[in-house]
Amino acid sequence: MAHGVDESTRVFLQNNTGVQFFPFMYIGAKHMVTGYDHLLFLVGVIFFLYKSRDILLYVSMFTLGHSLTLLLGVMIDIQVNAYLIDAIIGLSVVYKGFDNLGGFKRTLGYSPNAKVAVLVFGLFHGFGLATKLQEFQLPEDGLFTNLLAFNIGVEIGQFAALTFILLGISYWRKHHTFKQFSTATNTLLVSAGFMLIGFQLTGYFVN
Amino acid sequence: MQHTLSTATLIKSTIIALVIAVLTLVSFILPAEYNIDPTGLGEKMGLTALANTTTTTDVDQYQNTDKLSSSDSFEITVPARRGLEFKFAMQQFEKMEYEWLTEGSALYFDLHGEPEGDTTGYFESYAIATLAEMKGSFTAPFNGVHGWYWKNKTDKAVIIKLKVNGEYTVIGIKK
Repeated sequence: MAHGVDESTRVFLQNNTGVQFFPFMYIGAKHMVTGYDHLLFLVGVIFFLYKSRDILLYVSMFTLGHSLTLLLGVMIDIQVNAYLIDAIIGLSVVYKGFDNLGGFKRTLGYSPNAKVAVLVFGLFHGFGLATKLQEFQLPEDGLFTNLLAFNIGVEIGQFAALTFILLGISYWRKHHTFKQFSTATNTLLVSAGFMLIGFQLTGYFVN
Repeated sequence: MQHTLSTATLIKSTIIALVIAVLTLVSFILPAEYNIDPTGLGEKMGLTALANTTTTTDVDQYQNTDKLSSSDSFEITVPARRGLEFKFAMQQFEKMEYEWLTEGSALYFDLHGEPEGDTTGYFESYAIATLAEMKGSFTAPFNGVHGWYWKNKTDKAVIIKLKVNGEYTVIGIKK
């Protein structure tokens, strides 16, 4: 599922023409809820965010980034290799986990601007989505509306997933194990990011 | 943000992350996803079997169809007063160019496709005629088996020379 859309969805995308608002919205939402790479990144981003204002701000930066490249990528037909994009998404997970560990402060003496980083990785996540959609050679008819619907679906899916992640993390924060295991969790996050990179780069060289 | 870890802890965490990642990749992910199995563990656990059926490979095959394009020629003998089918497996939207001719005898034929997994006997005809030669191309409308049924209504065997070019897997004579 790393490359995102299952067989029946693929058939649907290729065979249907015209505006298909809700199906595209559903596909977008499903993609986000089942897209573990995006979810891992979001877990990293909100791990140490305590204020709802901050969470909203960071998630908006991410949303802004991936909406831009998702729409632009498909409309002006920019094709980027899906494996490379997914490897960069893996890198975003490594970055956030490492940042959460205080790794940049320790090694560089400062932490890269987290909001800018989230925006930039958002742009890459959007390209990833765009590239996946382009594999299906979507019909031109109603394309923009369908993309918009897909994007809205992505946001709904992200919101739904985020709600559950936040509930889990907020609950966990109240428990003393959060402090104990925060290092371990972010280490695992870095590890999962490395796995994604390895998985996607291998795919790139194999295919 | 949490307190900054000591350099030693940071290095330890990073190394642990890398080691876990490499071990998981090599022993589970790569065997299951790509059939790359340096440790042999994937084979033992039956993970490598997954690599051949994932949708990822389907999608990739679909993307790379240009590269799979090939051409073949066949000589098919249709016995007197008999019919036979010669088939190719093709994925949806794959294209085939073809050209066939006999030494002069016209044959009844039906160029058609049967969807994959269909058990009702349904098929879709692309062309039905009686001719001694034909040239053309078609795009598979669905995943499945596509090809010709030829019927020789004469009293002598007829040899068909068939040339194809495109994206397909040869199945051959179907009995």
